[in-house]
Amino acid sequence: MPSLKEVKNRINSVTSTQQITKAMKMVAAAKLRRAQERILLMRPYAKKLSEILQNVSATLSSEGENPYGEIKEIKKVLIVVITSDRGLCGAFNSSVIKSVQSLISEKYSKQLKDGQIELLCIGAKGFDYFKKKNFFVISQYKDIFQKLSFDAVRQAAEFAMNNFLNGNYDVVEIVYNEFKNVATQIVKVQQFLPILPQAGTTHQNVYTEYIFEPSKEEILSELIPKSLKIEFYKAVLESNASEHGARMTAMDKATDNAKELLRQLRLSYNRTRQDAITKEILEIVGGANALTQQQW
Amino acid sequence: MSINLLIFVTMYLEVITPDKKIFSGEVNGVLVPGAGGSFEMLNNHAAIISSLSKGKLRINSKESGVIVLQIDGGIVEMKDNKVIVLVEKVVES
Repeated sequence: MPSLKEVKNRINSVTSTQQITKAMKMVAAAKLRRAQERILLMRPYAKKLSEILQNVSATLSSEGENPYGEIKEIKKVLIVVITSDRGLCGAFNSSVIKSVQSLISEKYSKQLKDGQIELLCIGAKGFDYFKKKNFFVISQYKDIFQKLSFDAVRQAAEFAMNNFLNGNYDVVEIVYNEFKNVATQIVKVQQFLPILPQAGTTHQNVYTEYIFEPSKEEILSELIPKSLKIEFYKAVLESNASEHGARMTAMDKATDNAKELLRQLRLSYNRTRQDAITKEILEIVGGANALTQQQW
Repeated sequence: MSINLLIFVTMYLEVITPDKKIFSGEVNGVLVPGAGGSFEMLNNHAAIISSLSKGKLRINSKESGVIVLQIDGGIVEMKDNKVIVLVEKVVES
């Protein structure tokens, strides 16, 4: 049986831990709301863009050459790994890392042997991990989450796109957490480049007769990189929202665990205290009895 | 009885970036830096889609007068008297 003092110390430490996890949960909830707002703000832009893109490509007779859709022999691979900067968010980072590793070992084992895999890490956790494992990691964009804006994400997306066009990379994949709801994140591996032909895109029947300036082809060639950047930005935002969701859930569970632990500790504290009191009473009674017997 | 409704409708403009909505409201006209040269859209302009190059976007707003935005290229769509400008980056000036 632990002593009273020990139990008391543990109760104190668990209480303060619980306070911390509770506070972290609140912070994560606030940040989650902001992250969700960002997604909502991005949506009208993305929606309009894809509308215009659909409109242009539907009225265009020939599909035309799309340099981003060119399928090449896979020699060099870029994998974009989107993790968080901080920990304490459950399996959030480890599941991304795990799925990157299985992606490499299943799909790109040959490229790995030739040393032709490069990783672009967004978020410090993934960066630290893969750096330690001696992968070739591009560190330029790892701090995007510190000041999240479209402009910063755009630069990372442009880096991947330009290097794809130059032929530095033959395929670009993104691995990130998709936000399903607060408690659920789904790890998603998405091929970013070359663009996969979209199967079964819904075609609207009503098209407005537009004037196209300067020409449909030129507009299309401008639209494609724009929508790619939005795609990339969406992945980053999804991951950001997922991170806070995951942290919120993890901290909520931690708070619950602390509560349960406290309950048990209090029980054991009270038992110990009761034991001590009983013992004391017994001693007093025993002592008194001995005294009275002596008097007789 | 045939009242041309369009007379009463004013042109509506939205300037959107992925981060936020920069401007939305009724305007008298908007001057955009089109890829083939800058042009102005007034009330009831025909439906148009144009790519924009780097340059100045001049909004003649109904409520707050002339607003000039420096943009980094984008796309503009005009349809049913509603203009939507999609830009990636705006430097307010």
